Amino acid sequence: MKKLLGIISLIAIALFLVACDGGKETSEDIFALLMEAEDLSGMKNKMGTIIREDGDLGLPKQYKGVQITYKSRNPEIINDDGVVTLPGECWIESRDQKGEKVFEGLNDNWPVVIDVTLSYKGIERTAKLLFVVAPREGYTCDKYKG
Amino acid sequence: MKKVFTLATLFILILVAWPSVFARQRIVYTEEDYARLKAVIDHVENILKYGKRYNPNTELLPDAINTLTGEPAKWVFPNRASVPYADLANQQNFFRTLVALSTVTGNPKYKNQAVASLTEFMNNYQDPNGLFYWGGHRVINLDTLEVQSTENPDGPHELKNMMPYYELMYEVNPEATLRFMRQLWTAHYEWDTSDLNRHGSYSTAYDKNAFGLPIPDDVIKMGPDGRPIIPEDSPGKLPFVNSATDLSYAALTLSEYTLDPAPKEWAKYLMRQYNLASDPVTGMTVYQFKSTLVTKSPQECSDPAYTNSGCGDRAKRQFRDFGPIAREANIAWKNTQAMYVDNILMLVESGRKYNIPEFIQWARQYLEGYLKYAYIRVNGQNKIIPMFIDGTVTYGYVFPEVGYYGPSNSRLDYVEMPTTYILPILRTILNLKKNEDKIVLWNYLRDIMYTFGIGDIGELGGKKPNLDLDTSIDDPFALMAMLELYDATKNIQYLNVARTIGNNMLREKFHRGFFVEDEVLLYSRLDQPDTLALLILDGVLKGFKIDDLPFYLADSGYIHGYLLANDGVVEDRDYSHRIIYTKTIYDWE
Repeated sequence: MKKLLGIISLIAIALFLVACDGGKETSEDIFALLMEAEDLSGMKNKMGTIIREDGDLGLPKQYKGVQITYKSRNPEIINDDGVVTLPGECWIESRDQKGEKVFEGLNDNWPVVIDVTLSYKGIERTAKLLFVVAPREGYTCDKYKG
Repeated sequence: MKKVFTLATLFILILVAWPSVFARQRIVYTEEDYARLKAVIDHVENILKYGKRYNPNTELLPDAINTLTGEPAKWVFPNRASVPYADLANQQNFFRTLVALSTVTGNPKYKNQAVASLTEFMNNYQDPNGLFYWGGHRVINLDTLEVQSTENPDGPHELKNMMPYYELMYEVNPEATLRFMRQLWTAHYEWDTSDLNRHGSYSTAYDKNAFGLPIPDDVIKMGPDGRPIIPEDSPGKLPFVNSATDLSYAALTLSEYTLDPAPKEWAKYLMRQYNLASDPVTGMTVYQFKSTLVTKSPQECSDPAYTNSGCGDRAKRQFRDFGPIAREANIAWKNTQAMYVDNILMLVESGRKYNIPEFIQWARQYLEGYLKYAYIRVNGQNKIIPMFIDGTVTYGYVFPEVGYYGPSNSRLDYVEMPTTYILPILRTILNLKKNEDKIVLWNYLRDIMYTFGIGDIGELGGKKPNLDLDTSIDDPFALMAMLELYDATKNIQYLNVARTIGNNMLREKFHRGFFVEDEVLLYSRLDQPDTLALLILDGVLKGFKIDDLPFYLADSGYIHGYLLANDGVVEDRDYSHRIIYTKTIYDWE
């Protein structure tokens, strides 16, 4: 009987310790970390500016153990590693209603959306980035769609 | 020894059961809870006191009350006639509030007032053709009790996402309610072409055989490129979804009351056209499934500032730079509230109530597409990336010329995502059956609510929320969402945050004896959703089920028409929410 009591007490203590394990990350902690990774990892540093140079945007791949991957909707301009290649043509050629008068330089800069996946210990969430990229010097602008 | 054994076992059982013991703790009604209810009672009593005092010969109430003087809001016509008005299409949430207040207090006088107002209205203000004198362009003058048009002398009937409180209307006057529901279609809908005019004429004769025609083929066909073909054949009667929601909701309710399946089939047919016209890849939906027929000459339309719909599709004209995707139907940055909030709320509620599972699936499709492609967090705020429904981004686009969508040199920026989006997303989730169908929307909802400052709603199903019990949000939609989450999961954390939000609303919005959108705003609007949300909270605390209380569906009431501009000289044409509900107490002084 003493043995049985000992086993029961051990189970009780174990359960108590599991319940009170303050050090273990809970799913709500992980969610907060994933939100923090979006906001503080630096991935958004160049949003709101116009990117005018080729090169690496320096998008973080990790933040406090969070793995971050990127999928660009315009990979020829910003690839999935965050490397910019300035486009050789304008975004949109704008003309008047008759299709005659060209508004030069009005809509040259490309909006590029990047889908972000943040993952930590098997838990994922998604986010988006939007960068504006200018075409390179000497660009063309002659593909009117209207 | 036996005792020790029993005690130890008991200890283990308590430990194992600990979370559920917490989750299902008894609700104690507190003084704070009563303070919120008292504020709603004071608000309602003040509305009734001042509203009825203005003209004791009527049970009709004004749309809004001046919180400094108790006077009704007035529409000032270009001829300087200042008209206190009642537009019962804009008072539906107040009727819901009155019924909810009677439910939670057990005092029938509030519901009796709603019944009295509606009885007078339905007996005296229904045109012989069946349409009521209400909506965007018709009001009742509270001085003369005569009908007044805010447009030309013969202003049309217009409802946009009003979703009237038909349950109560039917209780008050079933014949008038059914007659209205039938005539809503006859006056607004072309049975053979599916053209839908948001303006309905009071001259259209009542048709007792409405819904009698066989349902035609779908208007929307698929093109060889797999994309829906948007017909360009509407003679200025574009099927805007904000009118279609009201038509569908009326037809579905009509079927429910009459047991005639035909109106329901027409409602399903109408809403299916929007689904067929939605983008086959992204799933995003459309504001309309037709473009206008060109009836004007090229000479007349040569000026881009002339935006008459007879010149053809207005997006095609102004956004021609984008090519064939530029159509009014495909724009996903304008009318977003109509497409992704009001439309979804109607689809989900009707799908649930009238057993139309495809409506709920469509709601899921539209929201998933929209959030997947367009939802973004910018500077800690929920935003929408402007784009066409195929995902073509238009962010940053500068308009080369003036047009329907704005002046030249306007630049497309992120679109605001207000808290109104919370409920349609949540209700879609709650009405989906399988967990795997819910997870995508739940994850977006989790992000959105966190970004609104409510904290973490936790994992799907209400597990492990980490909500901000000190949240500063004072929003009725967030409150109703917390209550519906509590109703679905019974996790007490949601109810605790609901109480915090309710307290915030009381502190921030209850001023001078009325609920107002902001302390400095002059008018208290009868149609505001705050008091209904607070009463649903009170009801839940008292053990009522959410389904026992009036249900929030829309908050879209407005008046549109000619008026005297604020300068007191110029004739203008504007909306009540920009003219009446922006006035502050300082404007009055």
